[in-house]
Amino acid sequence: MMRTSGQMGGITRIGLVVVLSVAVYSWSWAQTITCTSVLKGQILGQDNRQPLVGATLYVRELKTGAVSDSAGYFQLGQLCSGTYTIDYQFIGYKTITQSIVIKQEPLVILNTVSLVPDNKTLQEVVVTEHRSEAQQLLQTQVSLSGAALDQTRGQSLGESLKALTGLYSIQTGPSISKPVIHGLYSNRIIILNNGIRQEDQQWGTEHAPQVDQFLASRLTVIKGAASIRYGSDAIGGVILVEPSAMPTQPGIRAEVNLVGATNGRMGVVSGMVEGAFDRKLTGLSWRLQGTLKRSGYVKTPNYYLENTSYHENNFSGDLHYDHKNFGIELFYSQFDTKVGLFTGAQVGSLADLYTAISRPEPLVKPDFSYSLDRPYQAVQHDLFKGRAHLHLPKGGTLTATVARQQNTRREYDYVSFSGITTPELYLKLVTHTADLVWEHAPIRTQSGGQVGQWSGSVGFNGITQGNVRQYLFLIPNFRNYGAGLFAIERYAVGRLTLEGGLRYDYRWLRAYFLDEVTRKTYYTTHNWQNANGSLGIAYQLRPELTLTGNLSTAWRAPNVADLYSNGLHQSAVAYERGNPNLRPEQALNSNLVLAYVGKRLSGEIGVYSNRIDNYIYLKPDSVPVVRQRGAFPSYTYDQVRATFRGVDASLTYKFTEQLAFTTKNSLLFAYNKTDRDYLVFIPPNRSDNSLRYDWSRWGKLAKPYVSVTGLYVARQNRAPSVTTRQENGAVIFTGDFAPPPPAYFLLGAEVGFQTQLGKQPLSVILSGTNLANVAYRDYLNRFRYFADEPGRNILLKVKLPLAFPKRT
Amino acid sequence: MMYTRKPFMFIAFLTLLAGACKNDEANVAPTDDNEAITTVTLTLTNKAVPTEIVTATIDNLNTTADFSKATLNLKANTTYTGVVTLLDKTKTPALDATAEIREKANEHLFVYTPSTGLSLTVTLTDRDTNPAPGPYPIGLATEMKTGAASSGKLKLVLRHQPDTKNGTATPGTSDLDTDFTIAIQ
Repeated sequence: MMRTSGQMGGITRIGLVVVLSVAVYSWSWAQTITCTSVLKGQILGQDNRQPLVGATLYVRELKTGAVSDSAGYFQLGQLCSGTYTIDYQFIGYKTITQSIVIKQEPLVILNTVSLVPDNKTLQEVVVTEHRSEAQQLLQTQVSLSGAALDQTRGQSLGESLKALTGLYSIQTGPSISKPVIHGLYSNRIIILNNGIRQEDQQWGTEHAPQVDQFLASRLTVIKGAASIRYGSDAIGGVILVEPSAMPTQPGIRAEVNLVGATNGRMGVVSGMVEGAFDRKLTGLSWRLQGTLKRSGYVKTPNYYLENTSYHENNFSGDLHYDHKNFGIELFYSQFDTKVGLFTGAQVGSLADLYTAISRPEPLVKPDFSYSLDRPYQAVQHDLFKGRAHLHLPKGGTLTATVARQQNTRREYDYVSFSGITTPELYLKLVTHTADLVWEHAPIRTQSGGQVGQWSGSVGFNGITQGNVRQYLFLIPNFRNYGAGLFAIERYAVGRLTLEGGLRYDYRWLRAYFLDEVTRKTYYTTHNWQNANGSLGIAYQLRPELTLTGNLSTAWRAPNVADLYSNGLHQSAVAYERGNPNLRPEQALNSNLVLAYVGKRLSGEIGVYSNRIDNYIYLKPDSVPVVRQRGAFPSYTYDQVRATFRGVDASLTYKFTEQLAFTTKNSLLFAYNKTDRDYLVFIPPNRSDNSLRYDWSRWGKLAKPYVSVTGLYVARQNRAPSVTTRQENGAVIFTGDFAPPPPAYFLLGAEVGFQTQLGKQPLSVILSGTNLANVAYRDYLNRFRYFADEPGRNILLKVKLPLAFPKRT
Repeated sequence: MMYTRKPFMFIAFLTLLAGACKNDEANVAPTDDNEAITTVTLTLTNKAVPTEIVTATIDNLNTTADFSKATLNLKANTTYTGVVTLLDKTKTPALDATAEIREKANEHLFVYTPSTGLSLTVTLTDRDTNPAPGPYPIGLATEMKTGAASSGKLKLVLRHQPDTKNGTATPGTSDLDTDFTIAIQ
């Protein structure tokens, strides 16, 4: 532990030295601050001055792009200010590369680009492998990249996504944060980590996703059912964690990220080095990346939270080879974490829980420490991925992906007297996935003088999982198989784009049990199948106004925890019982988004409605379970019809070129239609408002900015009422253990700038959260019964890219 | 060439999928609680007549408790010395948890609470080695004095109080929480 604190000090010191050195070096222009600019333009063929339909523009720095419509026009939104390299590409034409500068303007209209026909290269130049996967789908989505993502560095995945409207998180103390999309979480969300469906026992509310946030150069969230492309279960949405594109220029590049925080005395260091070869090895590129994170006891305004330390060690390696018409890639990553759980939240029984709830503060208020003891979770996630793509001579691209994931979870409870060193819970989940997708070459049609374009893909997804448990029983050993077939087709004509998708899924599950008397293994088997569809439409009402609508169905087969949980969930103070008779959840999701990009005002308003039949949830039983430690409330999985409706609205108004106001609001109304009651754990309404002032330069500092943020989170008034009754002389609560906590308001501020460190650009962000040091509790924190949320925190984030161009 | 590659990839997939099933999951490990307490026995010896011993046992505490032998029939106006033993029968041989608790006596406390109307007073007679303001009682050994004939419950709670033991029941968490039936005649 002493050694750990030594390292921490080191990290903070390096950070300070880097910052102090900043002033010494000369100023130079650098990039990325605000991210609301929209890029528009037109692509023509130089030969006949006709618009090129389906031509692509690809922004190298952002690893994203857009496809031109039937009039050759394209539009790309959410761009940060900065310098970008753009490639214009089209089959049979020479690629044009252009450098552009985006300043503060909301709308950038580029000069019309004319591509010159290239008779030598008739094969297709497809940017599929560069384009953000999600952009192939016509669905409500938001993303975090560039400067906006840099602002969240050092936070967990779940916490950083809260910068987006409609996104929340369920927490277990300060270090475990699970993303929530439109009120849905766990298995109802799919996380695609570098293209692979993350499988890390995500059914547990205290199981955070095992993903290194620094791996991503872009976090995209598809809000609403997105089952067609990504598989069953995605009733709530999909989170895509996408790394930056591999380098193409020969030479070596590196990047160092440092984050230090006062609360928890947290230190994070993340490094990346990548390179590409030329001459005989042209097309070969590589990348190595790693992150080290340490945090000690987190402090609320009035006391430290005992044992809330956190360790994380991650690394990954990526190797790509791209040739004329094919490419292969190999990726390996390991995520290793040790998370201390707040000791004050450990209770032996319901009686202990009530005593703890009635205390205004935890009984034990220790001094700061980096020590990490029981109770804690130790989880390791390994991912190996291989992918190959082939541009077929007859058109289209075939992509094959195989992956193996291994998730090992060990949970160590408080031990009372035995001094035992083994965990109380051990789960090893091995997942194999295989995907094969064929994207057909765009087909152009002409009817009534209008040029339309068809694009689409068909594919197969396969998955198998094996789970092995040890020690206490929570979920059984199991084996499952899943197979899915899908087809998505999109038609673009004029200002209209239409999209339709179909999918068929088959799931098979076998759970293994041990008869405690005969010591013989027995099993039970389930299988399910389902077909789903989706329809999407996007229409450009005016050049600055776009309407997108989506209607889709999705399903989720009950998972092994829903069916067969049987045990005392000590950390949840609950005895949870599975229900083997559960039927699959079936969702009908619709949403409508209106996006506007004007000179001063820009924003997006979205409404959604998600109706879920057979929504699976834990229903409180009428009789508590009595075990050695006393009485526990008991819950059994049950099904109801639930609705999730809400509004996501974000608006930015520029008073001047320098001063802008942004408001982000998320409203959610969820209801249990069957029992005519509210659902538990539904995020309360929130409003995040900020005022930001940008300078173009300030002495030696480039693009400095200051922003002030006020976050208001309402009290959740739509929660089941807390009722009490007497049972065997003990008071038993139903609905919840305590009413939702009051509303709160948090003040934050941020200062950022860029400068030059020698020849390398350096960006620095200094931010503060909960500046007023308000003592508050959050409804979505499972430890809200026991302690306050973290108090004031000052964070320093430094990013230093290093380039070593190859000399020729 | 393209036409041979496509089926090849498909076969490669299927092989990978098939190779994935090692069937480890078919070997099910028994449920194992590191700290199960299955059995509590309370043994009371009449101080005046040491051959007169009464015992009561609660079994299967970790699942559905068996209270069939949980009744202590005591004499009125008598002083008994009490000893409590805890067993974990999920282990083979059964583990004596009492010994482990005695080793960690500085962070454990047994709390005896007679129900209202039951004329019984319980005094803890053993002491831990906590530094001042300690030592504090443990509760493995007790003295129980009965009064007039009455009946009721005796609640037995074992509190785990690491670094927080102060002689009261308040700090810590419960490792055991159960009830014996007492009949004083």
